[in-house]
This record gives sequence, C-alpha cells and structure tokens, in this order.
Amino acid sequence: MTSENNKERSMPVLTLTNLAKRYNRKVWGVRKMDLEVEDKEFVVFLGPSGCGKTTCMRMIAGLEVTTRGSIILHGKDITDLPPRNRDISMVFQNYAIWPHMTVYENIAFALKLQKKSRSEIDRTVKEVAAMVKIDQLLSRIPGQMSGGQQQRVALARALAVKPKLFLMDEPLSNLDAKLRVVMRTELKAIHQRTGATSIFVTHDQSEAMSMADRIVIMKDGEIVQVGTPDDVYFRSADMFVAGFIGTPPTNFFPVEMKTAGEKVELSHPRFAILISGSDADRLKNNGQNSLILGVRPEEIKVVPEKDSLLSVEVMVVEPQGSFQIVAVEIEGEIVKIVVGSAGKIQPGERLHLSFVEERLHFFNAETTKRI
Amino acid sequence: MTNNLRRNAGRTMRMTTIYILVSGVAMIIIFPMFFLFSFSLMSDYETYSEWPKPLLPRTSVDYRMDHSGNGNFRLSIWNVSENDWMPFGPEELNRNPDEIKKLSRFLNNYGNTQFSEEEILTAMKLTDQDGFYEFALRKSLIHNYRRFFKLYSGAARSVLQSLYTAGMTIFISVSIGGMAGYAFARYVFKGKNILKLSVLFVRMFPPVAIAIPMVVILGKMGMYDKPVGLSLIYSINQISMNIWITASIFMGIPESLEEAAQVFGTSKTGAFFRVTMPLAVPGLAACAMYSFIYSWNEVINAVILTQFNPTFPVVVYKSLLGANAQVHLIAAGSIAQALPAIIFTLFIRKYILQMWGGVKV
Ligand SMILES: Nc1ncnc2c1ncn2[C@@H]1O[C@H](COP(=O)(O)OP(=O)(O)OP(=O)(O)O)[C@@H](O)[C@H]1O
Ligand SMILES: [Mg+2]
Repeated sequence: MTSENNKERSMPVLTLTNLAKRYNRKVWGVRKMDLEVEDKEFVVFLGPSGCGKTTCMRMIAGLEVTTRGSIILHGKDITDLPPRNRDISMVFQNYAIWPHMTVYENIAFALKLQKKSRSEIDRTVKEVAAMVKIDQLLSRIPGQMSGGQQQRVALARALAVKPKLFLMDEPLSNLDAKLRVVMRTELKAIHQRTGATSIFVTHDQSEAMSMADRIVIMKDGEIVQVGTPDDVYFRSADMFVAGFIGTPPTNFFPVEMKTAGEKVELSHPRFAILISGSDADRLKNNGQNSLILGVRPEEIKVVPEKDSLLSVEVMVVEPQGSFQIVAVEIEGEIVKIVVGSAGKIQPGERLHLSFVEERLHFFNAETTKRI
Repeated sequence: MTNNLRRNAGRTMRMTTIYILVSGVAMIIIFPMFFLFSFSLMSDYETYSEWPKPLLPRTSVDYRMDHSGNGNFRLSIWNVSENDWMPFGPEELNRNPDEIKKLSRFLNNYGNTQFSEEEILTAMKLTDQDGFYEFALRKSLIHNYRRFFKLYSGAARSVLQSLYTAGMTIFISVSIGGMAGYAFARYVFKGKNILKLSVLFVRMFPPVAIAIPMVVILGKMGMYDKPVGLSLIYSINQISMNIWITASIFMGIPESLEEAAQVFGTSKTGAFFRVTMPLAVPGLAACAMYSFIYSWNEVINAVILTQFNPTFPVVVYKSLLGANAQVHLIAAGSIAQALPAIIFTLFIRKYILQMWGGVKV
C-alpha cells in the first residue's frame, strides 16, 4: 500500500468505471469493474472460467457493447467508439490470423489501412517479425504453420500497430506446456522492450504470477482483489483469493477465538494456538469469535514432537522433484503440506506439525473477507 | 506363404469386383451421353440408312461416281453397315448446272460433306476418263448444330434468353441467399429455426401444382414471358439452396477473424469484404454453379411461364415433340444444351474443389 502512495501518480492510461455487461438481458458477463491501469504496466486478469475476463477485454476492445459504465483511454472516452478508432490491438485466444493472407500481409494489414508508406510498412513488418522470431516465415500461408508459429504471427500483427493498449486474451492457452513457458519469458522481454501498456488474460495462476506487474483477480463478474503478485499471495483479500492462488492452495481451519490477556487463543478441535502482537489486536478489534484460519501449505512445518501443534497420519505423498506435497486429513478435511524433498515421507507415517505463526491468515467466517 | 497367397488372391478378387462394378456404373452414365454425342455428329444418311450404328461416328465419307448408261452419271455412298456401295442422290445426273447445284446441296444436307459445283464437274471429267471415280470427303462435325439452330427458329435467341435468365438468377439468388445465409450463421434472433424451415418449405411445392397462380402473379407484375419473371421464380427455389450452402460456409469461418479485422482498422462491413468474403468465395462459386445449372436446365416452369420468348431447354424440348423429329438434330440440340453447364463448372472447378477440401482456417 505504502509503495503505491509513494509512487508518483501519473494519469492512468486506462480507466474502467462501473463497467458492466449483461448478455441478452439475462446473463451477467461482468457485473461491476473499476480499474485503473498505469502507463507501461503489465496487468493480468486472473480468474476461474466464466468469471468475465474475456467479456471485460472484449468491451475494452469495442467488440462488445457495454451495458453500463465507461472506458477511458488516455483521457478519451472510448466507450462507444468502434474498435478501429480505439488505438488498441489484441491477440486472440485462437490467434485469428487471416488464412487467405501471407504472414507478411497479416502483419501489414493494419498499416496498409493506416495508409503508411510502403517502405515504412516494410520496415515495421520486418522489425516486429524479428522481435517474435518469424522473419523466415513472412511469405508463408498461416495454414501450413504450427500453433506456436501462428501465435507469434498474431503477436507480431498486434505489435506492428504500436498501440496505446495491448490486449491479450489467453494467448498462450493453445500451446503445449513447454512452449508456454518459453513464450511467457519472451512476452515479458517484449513488454520490457516496447513498454506497451498491456492487459493479459489467463486462468493459469503461475502465468499470472510470473508476468504481472499487477494481478486483477475476478470472480463472478466482479473484481475481488487488485494487487502485485506478492499482495495477492501473501495478503489475499478473501478466502476465494487465498484458495485460488497458490498450488496447492491455502488450507482453511474453522476456529473459535478466546481472549487471553494481551493475546488471543484460537482453538480448533485438534489444536489451539496463541496469537500475539498486531495480529492479536486486529482479531480483538474484529470482535467476532468464529473465524477461519488460513495457512499456506509451505507455512506448515514438520517439527519434533515436543514443539508440535498437532500430529497426523500421512495419507498421500506427491513427489514434485524439488519438494513433495503431503496430504493429511484433519477433521475430515484434506490438508496439504509442502515439505522439502530431503527425507522421503511414506504414507501411514506420523508427522508432527506446527504453523509459521507470523504468516497466518485470518478470515471472517461469514463474509470470507480478510481480517 | 500360402496364407499370403490366399490373402493376395482375395484382394485381387475384391479389387476386380470393385473395378467391374465401378466401370459398369460409369458405362451406365457415360454410354448414353456418348451415344447422344455420337448421334449429334451423324449425317442424315448415317442416321436413317445405316444399321447397326457404328460406335464411333465417321469423320469422312467415301463416295463413288460412275456412269449410269447413256453418258449420264450416278453417285454411290459407302454404307458401313452393308459394307457395300449404295445409291446416293438422283438416279441420273447430267451436266446441267441446276442439277449439279442440287447435287452439291444434297451432299451437304444429307451427307454433311462439302463438295462444290466445280469439284463435281471435275469428278465427272475424271469419271469420263477412267469409267469411275472414288473420293473421300471430310464430314463437317458442326453441321447438325448449325442445322438445329437454323431449323428451330428462335433457338439462337432462346440461348440468349437462357443466358440472361441464368445471369439474373445467379445475381438475385446468390446475393439474397448469401446475405440471408450470413444472417443465419452469425446472428441469434427470434424465430430463427422456423425461418430456416420455411426456407426449405418453399421448395416443397411442385411447380406444376402452382403454375396457374404463378402465371397470374407474373402477368399482373408484367413479367410473364420475360427472363426477369422466370429468374424470379427460379430464385425462389435457388435462394433457399444458397442460404443453406452459404450459412454452413459462413459458420465455418470463425467470427474472430472478422473481429480481428475490426480491431486492426476496418469497419464491420470492411471486415466482411476483406476477410469473410474472400474466404467464402468457394462457397459462393458453388452457389453460382448450382444456380446456373438449375436455371439453364429447368424446363417445366419455363414451358409454363414463357410463350414467345422461350428459353433454350424449351426449344430443345419442343424439338422432341412432333412426328418430324430428326434424332440427330435433336441430339445436337441436347449436346448444345448440356455444354454450357459443363463449361461453367470447369471454369469454377478450382473453387468447387476448394470447398470440398473445406475452408482451411
Ligand atoms: N455471447 C454470450 N452470450 C451470452 N452469455 C455469454 C456470452 N459470452 C459470455 N457469456 C457469459 O458471460 C460469462 C462470462 O464469460 P467470459 O467468456 O467473459 O468468461 P471468461 O472469464 O473469459 O472464461 P474463460 O476463462 O473460460 O475464457 C459466462 O457466464 C458466460 O456464460
Ligand atoms: Mg475467456
């Protein structure tokens, strides 16, 4: 929060105000979105399927009529402008490169419409083609190219227009896992080089965490949290975010709070912990006795029996190379723990666990909001 | 080893059976067409005086001239089925210019061969020298076609009427059908399914059954016996066909291609013309082909809805009627009628094949 206040606040490139979209007067695509995107920022929309990411992006692009709200780009209200007058460009999920044109023609399409000179078009096309490494393919027809190559063409086409805003709707989702990671890095490099303000849609959280300056987490057509990757991970705004971000996600324990002098005691049928310091003050101020304790899998530690909070039997072990995920059952709920790979853990083994106390998350049991 | 042999034998058997079947089917389709074509090249003499017909029509005809006594001449023709010289033309010929002229015309009309009056005189001279003179003449292959158009008056004009009708039909049905197909493919609206069915519904009426209302309506519109009126009637049928073809073509072209065009600088209309249209060309070509073939070949409506301005198939149809039907000329008319559709199809075959290969996206 403080870092944001210290940063010099320039005029936002894109401002969404109260933006909403309802399809056929029935289905809400987006219920309400308020968002400001800064210059040169790389913003990622992240959320489960059907939460309205594509809808929002299509409204910004002008491909969908808004039901309410406004979209302001560089101080200009573009809410009702046709797509071609918006100074944006877009990479489509299925690439949408035109099959009847060569790669060169695809990239040059927008420039030709802008009546650029022939030499300038040629220069730009070659430049962006080199940037995405397809300079060898310029005379090819898209139909004969691999998915990854088509993806690069779509990218080059979007880069060629040097837009004010660069939209990407799950551009990597049709690529295989390995290529996806490669393209992720390349996209980030391209962004750093061009400095184009970008909005990137994905439902892959590792993609979001690794690329984003800020992540916009959406659910049911609304923004749940906007923040840096660290914000959403370490200071998840509610149980949805905590349960959505991180693999495996946060473990939740319903607990009862009791005041014990300065401290507060949180009791669960299987364990009780004492919380002190600012956390305790916050919990006391909150005033509610039933709450949800959230613990990230890597913040549950395996400790000697004497230091432990509780002991459990291992159900399943999923080795992941550098670490292993251990699943245990606590009060009928599966709880996942991330343990280093040193020392193989066997199913059936008894583990003694404790929590990293300064990294606990507390949520309101009714509103699910962070306390 | 034996197993292999048996398998090979089995395969050979199967392939042989398939080839026999396929060629049998091909024969059933091709042979009548070939027969018709062959007939269209035959002269009167071949048509009516030779039996059985040769498989391939002759390209030249053998004649023989000799004396018929008292210094006059007579002409014979080589009859292929009899394997002998048969008398051809008048029994007695002299050097009278009128008769020579008549003979020249006779050779042209009944033998489809060109032999000028001077050439006849030369032949007579040579006959006088040697006692007989044998000569072969090249048969004119387009003679029957010319005769058909001369004999059935208005045939040439009717070809123009037909072309005009076909052109109008293509224009009306492809443009309207294409637009409707696009709407069906891209938009969701109330009553879409009912509309889709009703598009087919109009094809259900047999033309003869609704002939009278059609005549009355076209008459009231002042379009009876006019190519425009006929093309309107054809379009009713063809539009529904074209809607179904184009709708499935447009459905195969992802909407995101158009959206991409809009994002990169075109209007909605521009996106259609720059992206969707070029990709739909094979489908539109197929529509044009169907419309052309239908309009060009259609007889029943044309018979009912025209009077003094018939289309070409009506002329061919009428040539079939009546006792004086001349088979070889009708064959020529029929082939002339079939040709444009074939040429048109060959012309746009590139697009048709593309469509069969599917629009690659
Ligand atoms: N054309 C449409 N007509 C009606 N409803 C739609 C339409 N497009 C999307 N929706 C609805 O709007 C909601 C949001 O859809 P949207 O495509 O924006 O989700 P998304 O976040 O992009 O999901 P995904 O990750 O699966 O792409 C969904 O409930 C969807 O069913
Ligand atoms: Mg989507």
